[in-house]
Amino acid sequence: MTTSAAAAFDTDAPALREFDRLTAQALLKAMPSAAVVLDAAGTLIAHNVPAVDLLQTHVLAVVGKPIEGPFRIMAERARRMTGGDAPASFEHAVGNSWYHIVTYPVRAREDGPALQIIAAADISPQKHAEFEIRESEARLEEATRIAQLGTYKLQWDTEAVQWSPHMYVIHGLSPDTFPATPESYLELVHPEDRELYEGYRRNQFEGKALHGAEYRIVRKGAVRWLRLDGRVLFDADGEPYASFGTCQDITEGKQREQELKNLLRRNAILYEALDASPIGVAVVTTEGPRPEVFYVNAEFERLTGYKTYSLAKRSFAALQAEDDRGEWENVFRALATSSGGSFELKCLRRDGTSFLANLQVAPVRDHPGRDATVFVFNIRDITEDRQRAELLLQSQKMEALGQLSGGVAHEINNLLQPVLALSELGQDLIDSDPAKVRKYFEVIASSGRKARDVVRQVLTFARRDVPQLAAYPIAVLVSDAINLLHSGLSPGTRLNVTIDADGAHAVVNPTQVSQVVLNLVKNAADAMHGAGTVDVALMLADLDQAAAAALSLQPGRWITLRVIDRGCGMDTYTLSRVFEPFFTTKLAGKGTGLGLSVAYSIVMGWGGLLKLESEVDKGTTAMVYIPAASAP
Amino acid sequence: MAHILLVEDSPEVSLSVREILASVGHTVEEAASGKEGLKRLRAGKFDAIVSDIWMPEMDGIALLKEIRGAGNEIPVVVISGGAPNAPLTYTAPLAATFGANIVIYKPFEKAELLKAIDSVLAD
Repeated sequence: MTTSAAAAFDTDAPALREFDRLTAQALLKAMPSAAVVLDAAGTLIAHNVPAVDLLQTHVLAVVGKPIEGPFRIMAERARRMTGGDAPASFEHAVGNSWYHIVTYPVRAREDGPALQIIAAADISPQKHAEFEIRESEARLEEATRIAQLGTYKLQWDTEAVQWSPHMYVIHGLSPDTFPATPESYLELVHPEDRELYEGYRRNQFEGKALHGAEYRIVRKGAVRWLRLDGRVLFDADGEPYASFGTCQDITEGKQREQELKNLLRRNAILYEALDASPIGVAVVTTEGPRPEVFYVNAEFERLTGYKTYSLAKRSFAALQAEDDRGEWENVFRALATSSGGSFELKCLRRDGTSFLANLQVAPVRDHPGRDATVFVFNIRDITEDRQRAELLLQSQKMEALGQLSGGVAHEINNLLQPVLALSELGQDLIDSDPAKVRKYFEVIASSGRKARDVVRQVLTFARRDVPQLAAYPIAVLVSDAINLLHSGLSPGTRLNVTIDADGAHAVVNPTQVSQVVLNLVKNAADAMHGAGTVDVALMLADLDQAAAAALSLQPGRWITLRVIDRGCGMDTYTLSRVFEPFFTTKLAGKGTGLGLSVAYSIVMGWGGLLKLESEVDKGTTAMVYIPAASAP
Repeated sequence: MAHILLVEDSPEVSLSVREILASVGHTVEEAASGKEGLKRLRAGKFDAIVSDIWMPEMDGIALLKEIRGAGNEIPVVVISGGAPNAPLTYTAPLAATFGANIVIYKPFEKAELLKAIDSVLAD
């Protein structure tokens, strides 16, 4: 604000004496600024029109009275600044308005009173604009600091580069050691990205803005990803003169982006793999009020005709066949109890047809210890499997029936042969050779008895009713069976019996025990062609984890019955078939081929195990494992 | 009358077959296995053989192979325990394949066996 108007006063000029009052009045009137004249005591001597507003802001200031309000504060401030003898100039705020204040000490005449002129020019618009700029600059600075943005400006004519402090941080450089120029900058750019970066710069020189221009730099040996966003600055004539922009380190973001890409790729592979699976897969969540289908693979879709979205709406209700609700209830129970399972159920297809499905449900435990809310369903169409299995079972049944009937027929035929032949021959000899006829009758009777045994064995084998089992002292039963046996063995067979299981009980059937002992010992004796020693040992065995696992038995106390011969032994082929009904290597009439199968099925019925070990020409060991029980 | 080698492991069957053959005047030598039968065949001179199929040591089929393999054309009547339609009887057709002159099925009556013997001896 200029004050030169006041400086033009020549206070010594006599012509002004009368004139000065008028002049002063005129000057005051002419001044665009608010102006007042005060005397030394601070009394308001004069003011102009623009000053009225300011004079009235606080209390009504009246000419001839001591000044009040903003002008008084201004006068005091000027006096504090200069002691009141010199002009002062300052900016002063009144409310929201800003004023440029100029004060002058004035003495109209040598002897005149000392006066003070205060002029206040309203500079509020300029001041507010200035504040706005300053504030927005501060905000920008704060924002770039928060956003970790660096800013740059390149003056095109001088190639002067201006970097914000964070720009140096991003590049791992110090303003003291790195002179930022376009050339020095290119050195920082990753060699593979230099061409790319030059492209960005060319675009800028063509006046184009940069949006998300990404490139790599090498910062202290490490590769960092940067992103530039910038624009070109134009002068008043529309000529570009500088480029300006922000720079951001996006390495972490890039890494996350790469990780995301990898994740998406893996996801895609998993989906492809699931779609390639020959098993129908569905993922089901139980987070909502009812189980919801989250995903189904291609095979599931092929099997059922439902896609994920069409099933998601209807849930599994769509798949439930009316006549198979029960098994589906079991599936839902498995879901409700966070367990899995294997189910066989009838599944409805979208087209209304149905198939027999094997459904395996497994809980997906993403939080150990917590109930699963996600389940994976594996579904297979087992209609054909079932049909095949039934056919196979049927053919196996037929084969077994053939073997059984063939075996029985062979035995009976051999036994009928002497009956038929000798009874016919005997009729002719009744009178001539009664001794011979008697002998014939003996053979006929013995054949008849043998035939009876065969029929009984067949019936035992075929019988489906379960014999009564109870806890018996096993040692007593085995001893009894051996005593019965002795008489039936050929004179050349010796039995070496060890019984060391006193007091041990087993849940068995006494008749079955003698059947097993009889069959095993007879087999052993036959293997030695009726001459040799058969070892029979009944003992207790405590099976530890490893020993039990080797036999597929539960660890614990077992009773073992061992029957050992040193006979002809068996080859692997024979050994693999010995438990088949009617498989026999024995002479006709000496074995039905049922003994071992009967013994095997009896021991299995006790929850035990019958195992044979054999070596050709060395002998055979039969091992029976019977679970030990407590006494009744 | 003929001298016949009877190869049969069941003593009862062997007895009954021997008695049938003896009743018409044939003389019979008995063997309880194919192996024993082969031994007797080499040691003696026979007009015919009557042999079972299913025997220990050497079965009737193996015995036939041995005999025919050695170029011996002696007539052989095979007596089979299997029923003609049961799986085990595969050995009966096999016996024919390996050179049995006649296969008859147990239980047979006196006349059936004698007719078979007569027919092989007549050839």
